[in-house]
Amino acid sequence: MSEKQLACTVDAGAYQKEWFSQLRRDVFERHQPYAIIQADMPFELFQVMGVPAVSNQWWAALISAKRLAPRCFDELNARGFHQGLCHYCSLPLACTLAGDSVEAPWGGLPRPALISARLTCDCIQRVFEIWAQALGTEFIPLENPGPTKLPPRWWELGRYHWQQLFESDRLDLTVDQFHILIRALERITGRRFEIDALRQLMEGVNRQEEYFDEARQWIRKAPKTPVRMTEQITNVMAAQWLRGTDWAVEHAKKFRDEIRTRVESGIASCPEEKLRLMWVGAGLWHDTDFYTAFESQYGAVFVWSMYLAFGPDGYIRYGLSDPLRALASRVVSMNEQLHNPPWANEWIADQAIKHRIDGAVVLIPAGTRSAASGTRFIEMALEKAHVPVMTIAADVVDSRSWDGQTMREMVARFIEERLC
Amino acid sequence: MTATATDPIARLIACYHNPMSAGLEACAEGVPLIGITSNTVPWELIAASGMFPVMLRSEAGATPFADAFMEPGIFQPRIRSIFDQIVAGRWPLRAIILPRTSEQEYKLFLYLREIARQYPEKTLPPVYLYDLLHSRSEESRAHGLKVTFGLKKLLEEISGRSLATDDIATSIAESNSARSAVRSLVALRRGAPRISGCLALSLIGPFWFIPRKRYGELAHEAAASLQDSPALYGPRLLVKGVSIDQSELHSLLESFGAVVVSEDDWWGERSAGQDISTSTSPVEACFEKCYSDSPSPRIFPGTFADAWLNDRSREGIEGVVFYLPEDDYVSGWDYPRQKSFLDAHGIPSLLIREAPRQIQAAESARIQRWVKDLPQGPQS
Repeated sequence: MSEKQLACTVDAGAYQKEWFSQLRRDVFERHQPYAIIQADMPFELFQVMGVPAVSNQWWAALISAKRLAPRCFDELNARGFHQGLCHYCSLPLACTLAGDSVEAPWGGLPRPALISARLTCDCIQRVFEIWAQALGTEFIPLENPGPTKLPPRWWELGRYHWQQLFESDRLDLTVDQFHILIRALERITGRRFEIDALRQLMEGVNRQEEYFDEARQWIRKAPKTPVRMTEQITNVMAAQWLRGTDWAVEHAKKFRDEIRTRVESGIASCPEEKLRLMWVGAGLWHDTDFYTAFESQYGAVFVWSMYLAFGPDGYIRYGLSDPLRALASRVVSMNEQLHNPPWANEWIADQAIKHRIDGAVVLIPAGTRSAASGTRFIEMALEKAHVPVMTIAADVVDSRSWDGQTMREMVARFIEERLC
Repeated sequence: MTATATDPIARLIACYHNPMSAGLEACAEGVPLIGITSNTVPWELIAASGMFPVMLRSEAGATPFADAFMEPGIFQPRIRSIFDQIVAGRWPLRAIILPRTSEQEYKLFLYLREIARQYPEKTLPPVYLYDLLHSRSEESRAHGLKVTFGLKKLLEEISGRSLATDDIATSIAESNSARSAVRSLVALRRGAPRISGCLALSLIGPFWFIPRKRYGELAHEAAASLQDSPALYGPRLLVKGVSIDQSELHSLLESFGAVVVSEDDWWGERSAGQDISTSTSPVEACFEKCYSDSPSPRIFPGTFADAWLNDRSREGIEGVVFYLPEDDYVSGWDYPRQKSFLDAHGIPSLLIREAPRQIQAAESARIQRWVKDLPQGPQS
């Protein structure tokens, strides 16, 4: 991975590593419970119940970054699961099934007290059911009701008008599902859920995302981006997995402050910046150097990804008299907001304009089919907004089909032919 | 009228090959058509509202609209074809009701809405989501019941008439008669089979395409006329995997001497299931049918979803064919578990990944060898 330009990036990485070491110590030595959950789950409930939650996608990214995915998937395929199945959400399962034949990152995942996922796509219930059996643990599925109304410009409604934005029936059911999860967390911890604790945490999440919003504004308005996209992701996601906690809020503030200082001091992450690029999709975790590969020759810098932008637009909820319902509104439509028409294409085009994007690289995540839909509409919306688009079909965690050199050449051609 | 035209078997086969014909006839007489895509939309409620539910089915041929808007390799050919038919305005649909039965259908809902939003000149019919959830919980059940009452209200708005309980009850009774007819056809495939899998699909398929009353009459007649057909001799197969609304796979397997006697699929043996209850409120009964007795890729947990296969595979089956085409990314998660069950019970199974239309010679030979090695079914 390229150099770390921000001090808080180093801090974030170190904190995550220590957090995970502590989790392992707590589980092995003190027999404390922890959970593995999907990225679109209400992490806040686990936080207030004192149950550390490991994000499935974060763990997949770590395995991928250690270049372990091919061996894990070979093991999965050897057990009769065909190669066309989704990879992003199943890599940690594959790693579990591989057992001792693969040395998992950071000592590996201990046995969790439970695993949980929202039933968004048709695969996830299957992946988690198989995984629960392999881990010898409990799987708590949360149903995912679909929207029938998708009003325009959701990001302008989410903060104050979330009760109207996300239909009442959907929120009702999601809150009911939360109660099932809460009962399970109470059972495994022996603690009582406190609504006031959740409200307090939610207020922390708002503060955290407000800092991220300010950081985003500084990045947007700076003549040249003060922070590379990859460093944005490291800082933001380290905090988002622990959102609302003192550390996460403080880290978001530090991130904002460091960016502000860099902008005020005229420091750019790439002083030769000439072109501002947008990455649409999950990160290419097995080849993050890809994102800086176009700086020296073209001055083309990846400025935007969903990871920083989604927090302020998707998470902030004002009016916390019913914090469970507010939390339900945070998670109930993540899939639509990030991946599906009309919400994803509208939002991403709006973000491109606001960030003065010159060109977008849109990922078609071949190994994650549920996230691959909607990309055509995103592509069309960006082109309509006069942002040239290049699409890349790639697997975000499995490097077996990735030819980094060819992909770099393709992007270089795109830059030369459409952006220069 | 020719002799063929009065033959119930020929008439059902004709409907199978012209799935929209009955709907278009009804439309010509002023009956509004409601497009549906799966077994989990309450057919009986639509019919009771005086409208005609037409099951949209895949067609061979180019799909220019799908090519333009749908990502390659992400959507199944069936969904791409249906999207294309709707965007092209092929059918005079008053509305489309899509169930939350699969992620692909949910995305179809979102895509069609977006086309309508971005291209108002296309004048697409309004598209609605029937948000039936499939996990086995009280919350999912309550939500499903609520959205089913919501669907009733929606149908009243579309049709401009109130949906009377008696009308729904009549629709259920007609549908149950048709279900009974399907079961008569299914019975012909049990023991020593009297009909091939290809013929069975052709006779059962129109359950989704023509009015249930008419289907029940034709299918009962067809079953009666086939009752004394000579038994077909060959290994009896059950087909499992991705839902298939065409008969090419059956045709391929039967060309090698097998007889396909069952499908864990709503296009085949499981299309009818049990009758809809008449002892509870009709709307609730329609919901219960979709929720509890209709195969769907989202049914959870897996033990519940597997129950039918586990029972049926032990009732006069010589082998199971898993059909997981290249575009599958769902059923493949179930395959090792289901295969393991079959292995434990000594039931041979075969995995097919290639689409029957494009099957290579080597794959064809492999399938043929597998069929040849299976024990034969009973001769009578």
